[in-house]
Amino acid sequence: MDDRGKNQDRVYDRKLVWRMLEFAKPYWHYFVISLLLIFTITGASLARPYLTKVGIDKYINGVVKSTMSVEEARQGIWTLGIMFLVLIIVEFILGYLQRYLLELTGKKIIYNIREKIFNHVQHLPLSFFDKMAAGRVVTRVTNDPETINELFSGVLVGFIRSMVEMIAIIIVMFRLSSRLTMVSFMVLPLIVVATIIFRRTARKVWQRIRTKLAEINAFLAEHIAGMGIIQAFNMQNRKAQEFDKVNKEYFEAHMKSVKVFGIFRPFMDVVETLGMALLLWYGGRSILAGALEFGTLYMFVDYLGRFYWPIRELTEQFNTLQNSIVSAERVFNLLDQEVEPRIEGTIPDYDNMVGEIEFKNVWFAYIDENWVLKDISFKIKPGESAAFVGATGAGKTSIINLLCGFYEHQRGEILIDGVDIRDIGKEKLRRNIGLVLQDVSLFSGDIATNIKLFEPDISREEVVRAAKHVHAHEFISKLYGAYDHEIGEGGTTLSVGQRQLISFARALIRDPKILVMDEATSHVDTETEELIQDALINLMKGRTTIAVAHRLSTIQNADKIILIHKGRIREMGNHQELLSKRGLYYNLYRLQYDPEYKVS
Amino acid sequence: MVNKANLFGYLVKHKWRYVRGLFLLILINVLQVLVPKITGQIVDGLETLSLDDRKLLYYGAILILISLMTFVSHFLSRLQVAGASNRFDYEVRNVMFDHMLKLSMKFFHRNRVGELMALATNDLGSLRMITSRGFNLMTNTLILLVSSIFIMVRYVDPRLTLYSFLPLPFLVLVMTKFGPMINRRFRRVQESFSDLTRKTTENITGIRVVKAFVQEDYEKENFAKVNQENFDINMDLVRLQGIFYPLINLISSLSFLIAFVYGGNLIISKQISLGDFIAFNGYLGIIIRPVMSIGMIINFAQRAKASKERIEELLNEEPDIVDTVPDNPGPGQAEDFHGRIEFRNLTFAYDKKGPNVLENINLTIEPGKTLGIIGKVGSGKSTIANLILRLYDPLEEGQLLIDGVDITKTSLKRLRDNIGYIPQDNFLFSSTIRNNIGFMPEEPTLEEIRRAASISQIDESIMELPDQYDTILGERGVNLSGGQKQRVSIARALVRDPKILIMDDCLSAVDTDTERKILNELKPFMEERTCIIIAHRVSSIQDADEIIVLDDGRIIERGSHEELLELNGYYNRIYQRQLLEQEIETA
Repeated sequence: MDDRGKNQDRVYDRKLVWRMLEFAKPYWHYFVISLLLIFTITGASLARPYLTKVGIDKYINGVVKSTMSVEEARQGIWTLGIMFLVLIIVEFILGYLQRYLLELTGKKIIYNIREKIFNHVQHLPLSFFDKMAAGRVVTRVTNDPETINELFSGVLVGFIRSMVEMIAIIIVMFRLSSRLTMVSFMVLPLIVVATIIFRRTARKVWQRIRTKLAEINAFLAEHIAGMGIIQAFNMQNRKAQEFDKVNKEYFEAHMKSVKVFGIFRPFMDVVETLGMALLLWYGGRSILAGALEFGTLYMFVDYLGRFYWPIRELTEQFNTLQNSIVSAERVFNLLDQEVEPRIEGTIPDYDNMVGEIEFKNVWFAYIDENWVLKDISFKIKPGESAAFVGATGAGKTSIINLLCGFYEHQRGEILIDGVDIRDIGKEKLRRNIGLVLQDVSLFSGDIATNIKLFEPDISREEVVRAAKHVHAHEFISKLYGAYDHEIGEGGTTLSVGQRQLISFARALIRDPKILVMDEATSHVDTETEELIQDALINLMKGRTTIAVAHRLSTIQNADKIILIHKGRIREMGNHQELLSKRGLYYNLYRLQYDPEYKVS
Repeated sequence: MVNKANLFGYLVKHKWRYVRGLFLLILINVLQVLVPKITGQIVDGLETLSLDDRKLLYYGAILILISLMTFVSHFLSRLQVAGASNRFDYEVRNVMFDHMLKLSMKFFHRNRVGELMALATNDLGSLRMITSRGFNLMTNTLILLVSSIFIMVRYVDPRLTLYSFLPLPFLVLVMTKFGPMINRRFRRVQESFSDLTRKTTENITGIRVVKAFVQEDYEKENFAKVNQENFDINMDLVRLQGIFYPLINLISSLSFLIAFVYGGNLIISKQISLGDFIAFNGYLGIIIRPVMSIGMIINFAQRAKASKERIEELLNEEPDIVDTVPDNPGPGQAEDFHGRIEFRNLTFAYDKKGPNVLENINLTIEPGKTLGIIGKVGSGKSTIANLILRLYDPLEEGQLLIDGVDITKTSLKRLRDNIGYIPQDNFLFSSTIRNNIGFMPEEPTLEEIRRAASISQIDESIMELPDQYDTILGERGVNLSGGQKQRVSIARALVRDPKILIMDDCLSAVDTDTERKILNELKPFMEERTCIIIAHRVSSIQDADEIIVLDDGRIIERGSHEELLELNGYYNRIYQRQLLEQEIETA
């Protein structure tokens, strides 16, 4: 059972890796060049010990054994020296080229993956964002591409390089002396096992340090932010003790790492020395017996040292591979999400929208059959305004969401000018709607950009005109830089009321036929409140307006007041009609003028 | 006792660990320096064929013995030095947090959370670096350099040493020049990454606007710009970083090249032996790394110095709200805390240069009475709570008296122990509900906690949770709704059984129905206590003994609910409007 599951996992991983390789495909020739460079560099660096060997065996020993003249030997050494110099210069240049090329490819891949994810996200339906926290979507765009790229620039190339290096060393060693090679590799299994164990332990230890550091960070962030509460409740001593506990755990995690690294690393040195001693002993005996040249032994010592590095790297690359697979899985998961349906409409040139809105027996649920809207029907004539009134959760906002095409209704029809909004297409629909939301999202950038957004055709004059129209001009011109005033992160420099005025201007500047408004519930000061009400009147002029209303003025002045209760329309009509009905609305209204009046 | 702000003092405490560590490090280095000497002897023995099997075995055994001894001393020295530095790190972090606990809110307004956190993690981390790795590197470098050079000059050849060393200063130069440059570019990469994160976050959180205004294509373009910028900045780093290691490799290889050519010639002219030459190469190999570390140490030290200054600046920050009287009640203070609050001509500004937040406030709340405060955002309501809690001290004119004694002359602990505070933002900690409600110096019993929770109408909801009062709140636990958080926050204030209860706009996240229930339950509790209710909704304060309306730091209307309605001013206006709006909401 378990084994089969594991096998399936492996097949799945392989599929993922293939899919990941798609990202690298456009750059395959870069990778090939990079690898060729690596081989050349490896060759150059392996040639160096060989030069030393030739120097010792041929020239130095030649002089010592008097088979060569001093002059000849000198000449030889100089020649070798020049070859040595050429080698290190080649190594330097190619080394730089190779690093540059590999990184360039990696960054390009990251760029592409990011772009792909971001662009895909733009077209996902709002229901996707309901399910997934913003922070997680952001991580998909920012961090995950970098982790995925590790597969290419870290693992793929590194793996091949390590393998090539190891194989090259083994071949050279074997060609020189197979016996000596065997002796050199006697401690190798020990090194491999120790390395694997060490990596695994080290990873756990580091993980623990990181977790504890994150805990310290979280603790500090929370407690510095809540310092007032801590002091107001005299909790300083208890909190100091709590911090000491978190801090001590961090300390202990560090001490554990000191021990782990303190044992393993020097241990590896011991094993390496052991291998070296074996080699010296055996090689020394061979030399004494005249079966080996000294230079060869020297070269072996050098090669053996170089052999340990790739082993260390290989174990590292395996971890990286696992991480990038996890990231890739998450990214593909997101890329596999279906985009919003019906972006384009079926009516080719639907341009002159008049703005008549009709809901015909509309039923809607966010999940399954939990109906949020039940059998909603109403009709608003062009230029009229409708105010939706009702408790939180009654379904008012859902009506707005449907009208803007953010969600798909399950039953009934939503018609604009008698045309089903599904046929109009989302883009066209939204271009004709001006949306004012309760929570005004401001983007970092200047005020003008926040009003016109990124529409290039809107001129500064139009921005100013729109701002004047909704009474935003006055406060904007008082800001430093006026329309060029930069709004900070999250736009905290503006008050709630000012933000609302900006969102009015944002809607107005597009001169939409339909105005959709989720009125803000938060209270603003009286002066701004008056400005907002006045701006609203300007905004609604000549447009069909649908508003989730909280302000009395908006409600009273609406052509149609629609009272929604638990997803159904309870009362509908204008102010006078509803009053004469003596129903719910009447009760509400009487409250204001008759202090003795109690809702029965 | 060490001087608190002098970080060096905390290090001196561990001096014996460092002394022991130093000895072990010297031992390790001596052992290491021996190795090339032994290999040199082996080589010469082999060259002249003067070795025999036994001698060879003997040398091999010595090599292994040396490495075993190195192993043990390495481990012990790490334990000493890293132990000392980690203890230093731990102690200083505790001291820092303890100090922060004493600082007043003014300090926390001046300093960003992220910066303070960086002090306790990054800055302290760079000190840990210099006190452990830095110490090891410095010691190693010094010993290895001195001993290797000594041996090379004395036993091999001074000229060979001199010539081979020629490229090495460049190594130091490259390390010290490139290090900071790479750091700078790396920081720009990080900044650009946070730009990218910010842009993406804005897009995702504002996706409704993006869609509603059909901005998708423009957003793609904008993102492509940020993405491209990130790419370019990354490549700036790559261009520099890519040359770093090949360059270092080049320079150190030059040393070996010189040693090879010049050394080879020396052997040929019989001035040194082949063994000397091999040993020399071994020493050169040993010495390259310490030379590179000189550059690293310089970088470490610079960073550590800046960090040390920043941390000491925090520790030098004097707490400005402190007890001016001993903790036990003095002659001027009655044993019992009654909870009479009096503002006398009080004018207050958070900043000496800033605008006045409160102006000429005169107010007396007798024990057991309730004051309601209403007014716009920024009218100074919360400031009144902050002053009574003595989170700030009055700077300008006027006085705040508690039980007839100036607030700066009462003990902080006694004052705050007698206040139950329900803050505006319902700040809760990511701990258990039990810990969040039992938020006082002496942990209350579960029974007391539950009683407080029942008054604030939250006990039932808590008992429905799987872990009940042991439920952990916050990111890694359960997320309560805004209304539930408020009720927990109310219970937190009630469990202290305070003489003064301050509710800072704490009922805004519950509906009017629940508000009524909570206020009804609180009524008997409030009757024996001095209460201050700050509110947005008239319904929260209409039963208060006195209500003040604040506007721009001034009291513009005052009186009971009925009196204020008759005034037909600001209070009456908001009352009428809210009444209607609430009814519509709950229809």
